[in-house]
Formats: sequence, C-alpha cells, structure tokens
Amino acid sequence: MMRRVAPFLACIGLLLVWQLGSLALNSDSFPTALQAIEAIPAILGDKDSLVNFGASLRRMTIGFSVAVAVSIPLGLLMGRSRAVASFFNPLLMVVYPVPKAALMPIIMLWLGVGDLSKTLVIFLGVSLPVIYHSFEGAKAVEEKMLWSGAAMGLSAAQRLVRIVLPAALPEILSGCRTGLVLALITMITSEMIARQSGAGNILFNALDMGQYDTVFAMIIIVGAMGIGLDALFERLRARLVRWSDPQFDVPLSFS
Amino acid sequence: MIQIDHVSQVFQTSARQDHLALSDISLSVADGAFVSILGPSGCGKSTLLYIVGGFVQPTKGTAKMKGDVIRGPGPDRGPVFQEFALFPWKTVLGNVMYGPRQQGAKRAEAEAQSKALLEMVGLKGFENFYPKELSGGMKQRVALARTLAYHPEVLLMDEPFGALDAHTRTRLQNDLLSIWERDRKTVLFVTHSVEEAVFLSDKVVMMTRSPGRIRQVIDIDLPRPRRRVELLLDPRYQKYVVEIERMFDDSGENEL
Amino acid sequence: MNARAITSDLLLGLIPIALLVAVWQALVSFGYAPVTLLPPPGHVIRRMLELLLSTTYQQEITATLFRLFAGFAIAVILGVSVGLAAAVSPTINAVVRPIVRVLAPLPKVALYPALLLLVGFGHESKILLVTFDALFPILLSTYYGASTVEQKLIWSAMAAGTPPREILFKVVLPAASPSILTGCRIGLVISCIVVFLAEMITSTDGLGHVLVTAARTFQAVDMFVPLITISLLGLILNGLLELLRSYLLRGFPEV
Repeated sequence: MMRRVAPFLACIGLLLVWQLGSLALNSDSFPTALQAIEAIPAILGDKDSLVNFGASLRRMTIGFSVAVAVSIPLGLLMGRSRAVASFFNPLLMVVYPVPKAALMPIIMLWLGVGDLSKTLVIFLGVSLPVIYHSFEGAKAVEEKMLWSGAAMGLSAAQRLVRIVLPAALPEILSGCRTGLVLALITMITSEMIARQSGAGNILFNALDMGQYDTVFAMIIIVGAMGIGLDALFERLRARLVRWSDPQFDVPLSFS
Repeated sequence: MIQIDHVSQVFQTSARQDHLALSDISLSVADGAFVSILGPSGCGKSTLLYIVGGFVQPTKGTAKMKGDVIRGPGPDRGPVFQEFALFPWKTVLGNVMYGPRQQGAKRAEAEAQSKALLEMVGLKGFENFYPKELSGGMKQRVALARTLAYHPEVLLMDEPFGALDAHTRTRLQNDLLSIWERDRKTVLFVTHSVEEAVFLSDKVVMMTRSPGRIRQVIDIDLPRPRRRVELLLDPRYQKYVVEIERMFDDSGENEL
Repeated sequence: MNARAITSDLLLGLIPIALLVAVWQALVSFGYAPVTLLPPPGHVIRRMLELLLSTTYQQEITATLFRLFAGFAIAVILGVSVGLAAAVSPTINAVVRPIVRVLAPLPKVALYPALLLLVGFGHESKILLVTFDALFPILLSTYYGASTVEQKLIWSAMAAGTPPREILFKVVLPAASPSILTGCRIGLVISCIVVFLAEMITSTDGLGHVLVTAARTFQAVDMFVPLITISLLGLILNGLLELLRSYLLRGFPEV
C-alpha cells in the first residue's frame, strides 16, 4: 500500500518544499505553490487556453503516431539486417544531438508558423528514440527463435512481424515511452520558439507580461500532463508485455 | 573446527509464504576433514554452506567456528562459488591479489604470492588476462587461487565444478585433491554427485529433500592420496557409491 | 569484425548522408528552392569554416561547451551518488523512489521559466536545466546497475576481508560501471540538446543564440552553421565518451 501512496506523498512533499522556499525568498517573481495552484482554474476555465491546449495535444498525437508508425518498422529492419543498420546509423548519429526543436526556425522559414512545422518537428523528435529502441530490441532477439520460425515455414517478412516484433515489444514500448516524453518536450519548446499557439505559447506570454502566477500554474499543468501521460502509458505497457518485467526493487544486502 | 547446532532456516517466497529450507541440522566438522554435503537440488545444502560462510543468518540455532558464533563473512572461511564470481574489472592477477591487499600486504609481496599461487593452479602466463577471456575451468582455477590467497582455515565450496564439462570436472577434482594434500585445510564441499562426494571426501553428509535434514553421515574409509583410475576399479569405492545411491533410491528421492 | 567489414559498413553509412547533400544541392541548382531559404551546401560549408576561424564564434562555442560540461558534470556526480545510495540503503531508496517517479516524466524544460525567475538569465539557469534533464537517465541506470550486482561478488569480497563500508566503492561501483556509463552516454546527448534549446529560448550568447539571431535577421546560411556545429560537437563528445568507456570496461564481456 505504501508503494502506491508514495508518489502522491512525494508530490505533496515537493509542493511543500516549494511553498516554504517561496515564502522564505519572498520575491515577487517567485509565487508560492498555493498562489500557483489558485491560478490553475482560471487557465483551465478560459476558452482561449483550452483551444491552445487542444491544438497542442492534437499536434502531439499526430506527430507521435506517425513517428511510431514509421520508426518501429525501420528500427526492426535495422535490428535484423546489418546492411540496413550500417546504412542508417551514421545519419541517425549525426541527427541525434541536434535538438529537433532547434530545427524550428529553419522549418518555419520553409513551412510557415502553423501546425505543419510543429508537427514535423515532433515527428522528428519522437522518431529517434523509437528507432533506436526498436533497433536494440530487434537485435537482441535470439537467433534460435527465428530458426524455429523458419523451420515452421515462416517467410522472412512473417518472421519479422510474428516473432521479432512481439519479442522486441518490451524494448519498443520503452522507446515509445521515451518518445512520449520527448513529444511533450518538443511540443512545448517548439511552441516556446514559434509563439503562435499552444501551451508553450501561454507560458511565455505570461512570462513576458509578468503574470508569474500563471507561469508557475502552467508549469504545474504541463508537469501534470507529463506525469499523467507517462503513468497511462506505463499501465498500457504493463498490460501488453505482462510476460516481461524489469525488476529492480530490492536494495543489496551486505549489512 | 565447525559446530552446527540445531540450525533451521526459513525463507519467504515471492508469494509471501514461509518455506522451511533446513530443519534442525546438527553437525560437527573436524579440523582438516574433507566433508561433502550431498543431496538433491532444493535440499538446502547451499544454504547450509552460506550459513557457515556467514552470508546468511540462521533463523534458529547457531553455527560456530572454533567455538565462536559465526556472525558474518571473514577470511577464515573462504568461499568458492559455482558461478566463479570473479571481479570482471580486474585481471586474473588482480583478482588473486585482492585478498592479500585487503589484509594489508604490500603490492610487491601480494603480487609475488599471487603469481606463485597461479602457477600452482596451473595458470602461469595468464596473469594479465581478464576473466572473460578464460574458459570455465580456468575461471574456477582463478577463483580457487583467489580464495587460497588469503589463507582461509576453511574452504567452502558450493558445487564448484557444476558448471563445467565432465572432462574439465575430473581434471579439477584431481587438481583440487593434490592442492588440498599440501596443507589439509578443512573443506566443506557441496555437491549433488555421489561419485564426486565419495571420491573427494573423508565424510559424506547425506541430506533429504526440502525441508533439508541430515539423513546419514557416512565415513569414507579409503586411503589417500586417491587416484581416480585406481579408485574406479576399487571395490570399496564402488560399494560406497552403490550403498549411497541405494539409500537415496529407497527413500524415493532418486532425483539428484 | 575485420577491417574490411568495418570499412564497407562505413561506406554504406555515408551513402544516406551523401544522398542528402546531393538532394540538397540539386534542390538549389535546379531552382526548386530560393537561395535565401535554402543556401547551397557549398555556401554553408564555406561560411562554417569562416566562422570557425573567427574568435566571436569560438567564444560562442566556448560558452555553450562550458554550460554543457558544467551541467553534465553535476548531473553525473549527483546521479551516480544518489543512484548508488538508493541501491544500498532501504531508507534512501524509500525516499528517492517516489520523488524520481514523479519528477522523471516531467518535461523539465517547462521549469525553465521558473529557473529564469529564480537565478536570472545568465549561465546558471542553463546549467541547472542541463543538470535536471541529464540527471535522471544517469541516476536510473546507476540505480539499475548497482541493484543488480551479483550477490556472490559481494560475498567473495566480504570473505576476503572487505568491511561493509568499503563494499560500495570496491565492488558495487565497479560492477555497476557498464550501466553507469550507458546512462552517461544518454545524459551527454541530452545535455547537448538541452543547452542548445535553452540558449535558443533566452540567451545572450552561445550556439543556440547564434541560431535565433540568424533567424531574426533572415540569414539562412548562418542558421545552418550552429546546427551543424552542435551536431559535430555531439559526435565528437560521444566519440570521446566511447573511448573512455572502452578503456574503463575493457575487462567486461561485451553484451
């Protein structure tokens, strides 16, 4: 039971630290946790903000889904074929350290400030971790499992879908979880850079206008979104791959 | 040397249930004796070894070493594990030097000692190899050398040859005996092989399946030094093996 | 893997990059894209060499690198210490676990405005953001590596006379080093990404700032240069980390 309650206690603990910290600092630009929380209903009740949020979520969903649909097959192919892996690896390694949101200004020049540029950037941001995790997961599939499949008469394509995919699924879902976090981050940062709509836009507008309560309230909301999405995804993941469970619960014993 | 008094061990399974692994074990091990603990898998023989090693605290009863209650691991009781448990980040020499260095020996001294030990176990020339580059048999030799390096009074060996192929196993059994003959340390040797137990030991402690109890202790009255080829044809050896196997069969516990 | 296989892999991997550059050049040469929006590769390379030799650009790179290293270093020290502590002490574990579960999925870039308000617009806010973002992968992989150390390694060391307080440094830390270094690799890439992003959002110097300035003045060429620079920096740093990793883990079997 303690385990379930612990995260909530942690949240409350953190909020408490915030509250005490802000009271101690007593600075105009650092509102207390309570003040920030009080500002939340105003944001959620405002129709404009809701439109912004809706746009954000929509872009994120589209970007994420397309990325996953493209990246998983690519990653699986890379995992099972050295030629494919050698072909794409250097390109991916070159692209990885570049923050996808940093491509915003250039993409904005080409595609304008609207949905397409932001969705494209989210797509790029999510693709990389999903490709890499699918790649690693596919690579780790035991050769002997595939031999058994071949002996049963499965073609290469069938083996990819019916053996490699399920076997690599835990790793793939790990990648999707990272991708989800990145989708949220890329979404926010792209909106912070191309201030036109979305949650990031609200955040920075508030910052510009000195509405610090709103700034921190937005942080809480975005934070809650991140945690909520992650928790939901973790549920889904546990369901789908019940047969594989990472276990690092018990601390070592040498007392 | 070692006194085990009414030791019982209870474990919690993952289903939060109590599992009685050992039940009321009492045993004395004399100084310099080579004692095998023989039994089917799951009879708790490794657990008994770990209790003597001080890695596990008994739920009931006491284990004593030279009259003192065993409270934790120490260099007086050196383990050799089936999985070798060598430090992968150290070379062969580094592994063997670990014990002496821990006990305060100077680097040069520890190095010289360790090199001599490695030569004794037949690994001269492999000092700068990493464990990953060695075969199973070689890794176990390193593990043995590493333990011998800190001069334990008792050797605790947990199915040390279980992970090796039959050929390597017989070689290492012979090598172990010739090394043991030099200073006749006390040895507690866990195994599930009747032949191995009879071949190596002075005494064989037969254990029942879980909850593990001592069924019988058998004295092995065979002359030393023992040579495998001679022993295999020796009727006394054959009698011991058959007798023990029959005892296991009779109780319906013939899955060693 | 023999030398021939490696070189053919490398050549194969250069193909997509070469293709990309070729397509890029083609788009410009055949007039599909105006030079103002998509300068030819030749221009970009020339401009890049020009800037690399100029002291102002070198100063920008230094600023970015400084924040990157500072943030990454703090993340490593904190992450490894807390990860190890949580693996060996049940009390610390109970406290740290829920906090990490709550904070890890949070998009920390959303905290950036808070950091700006708290510590100002200088180096500190960026370094702190890098630390927050790089911390969790390092902490989690340290924890994972430390809590899955083979029990018999610890027992062997204890029997050899190692007192419990030394086990952490003599056994757990070295045994966990493969995991720790994997976490550091992820943390390093994240550091590259985050420092660049933070500089894009608000800064007066650094590579991200160069990009944003170029965007504001519609200098397309100058926009490509910092992107390529951060990509190259990421590659170099990753390569260096890989070298360090192979050296430190030379005894460990390859997975």
